[in-house]
Amino acid sequence: MVGSKLLLALIFRTGWEISMKRALAIGLLAAAALAAAPAAPQAEKSEVAKMTLKVGDTAPDFTLLSDGWKTVKLSDYRGKKNVFLAVYVLAFTGG
Amino acid sequence: MSLDSPAANAAFAKQIGVTFPLLSDMNKKMLKSYGILKGYNLHDDTFEWALRANIVIDKQGVIQFVEEGDSAVDPNTALTMCTTLHKKEPAK
Repeated sequence: MVGSKLLLALIFRTGWEISMKRALAIGLLAAAALAAAPAAPQAEKSEVAKMTLKVGDTAPDFTLLSDGWKTVKLSDYRGKKNVFLAVYVLAFTGG
Repeated sequence: MSLDSPAANAAFAKQIGVTFPLLSDMNKKMLKSYGILKGYNLHDDTFEWALRANIVIDKQGVIQFVEEGDSAVDPNTALTMCTTLHKKEPAK
């Protein structure tokens, strides 16, 4: 009787150990998946922010509003003037 | 050019007395097509701002010079490019 009880305890114990190992593995997998998930959109974002134009490319045409609310097209300058385009963030701050 | 409204640009133009047009891209179309819009995450939302950039486009509509980020704070390299382009023309 004592021997069978011990065996039962042993089976119970090893069984628990296996399930714990399995749970740990599942937990690790879940953690890995969670860690990988936010990394993907971040990588996408930095790619979006990278300027897509290179020297030698034809500049895409654009229509912008001037400070006098008139439209200014890049194509208006074609064949007439060289264009220097300075993109400034919050220009009025002087920063 | 900037993301600021034409009204803000007009006030700024008056303040510093510029001789060139200050352009506004409020619908971000141009910035998107040039790939100079950057998303910043703040308060569970994304806000888009323009990157600082200097671009020189010649008379034929071809990009001759591109500079972005911190190096674009100083416009001198781009200005030199403009002068070079300008000087080249009579020879054509």
